Amino acid sequence: MFSHANWARSMDGISFPLLADFHPKGAVAASCGLYLEDNGITDRATVVIDAEGVVRHVSSVTPSGKRDMAELAALCEEVDRGYSGSLPASAAPSGIDAGAKLFVKSACGFSRSVLIARDNLHLSDALPVVNVSEDARALEELRERAGKDQAPALVTGEGVIQESADIIAYMVEHTVPL
Amino acid sequence: MTAVGEKAPDFTLSDHLGRKVSLAQFRGKKHVMLLFYPLDFTPT
Repeated sequence: MFSHANWARSMDGISFPLLADFHPKGAVAASCGLYLEDNGITDRATVVIDAEGVVRHVSSVTPSGKRDMAELAALCEEVDRGYSGSLPASAAPSGIDAGAKLFVKSACGFSRSVLIARDNLHLSDALPVVNVSEDARALEELRERAGKDQAPALVTGEGVIQESADIIAYMVEHTVPL
Repeated sequence: MTAVGEKAPDFTLSDHLGRKVSLAQFRGKKHVMLLFYPLDFTPT
């Protein structure tokens, strides 16, 4: 769980649930026949289940292998095409309040990191960004709202967050849908 | 081994934010891709 949270954070926010199959260890993997008893680890396997709960794909690249992302994307499209029912349009994450704004600055690794998280979390439309290195009015606004000109900063109705890790954690917690 | 065409067994696990996630909650809403992997911080 803590390892998962740290990993998710190190990937600058992920927009999908990272699940712990750990108590008892590998139980779900085992129920799918994907737990490797001899090694005490789970196989690097991919299972696709359609919205009716029917297994549509099972494959493994072995623990030391690497999944092919293009293949997985093609697989998703195939399952989508082959599905006869209709699914509700996926709801865009909407947990970030409408007035929120992200302040960043140029040539800043922390700013870059929160911008990557914003992309990963599909927040490009929901969360406006201003660059205080390029926009004097934005810098003025940041000073006004945060009391200092430290960027990155996330200003929401609930207050100001000024550490990149805390900003990313806030974005993840408010936008990862289930 | 889970076989193509069979019903997937339901499960409930905690996610990285401590929330309970069940396969059943996606029924009728979304397809689900499970990416099993041996260890955190390893490639996809």
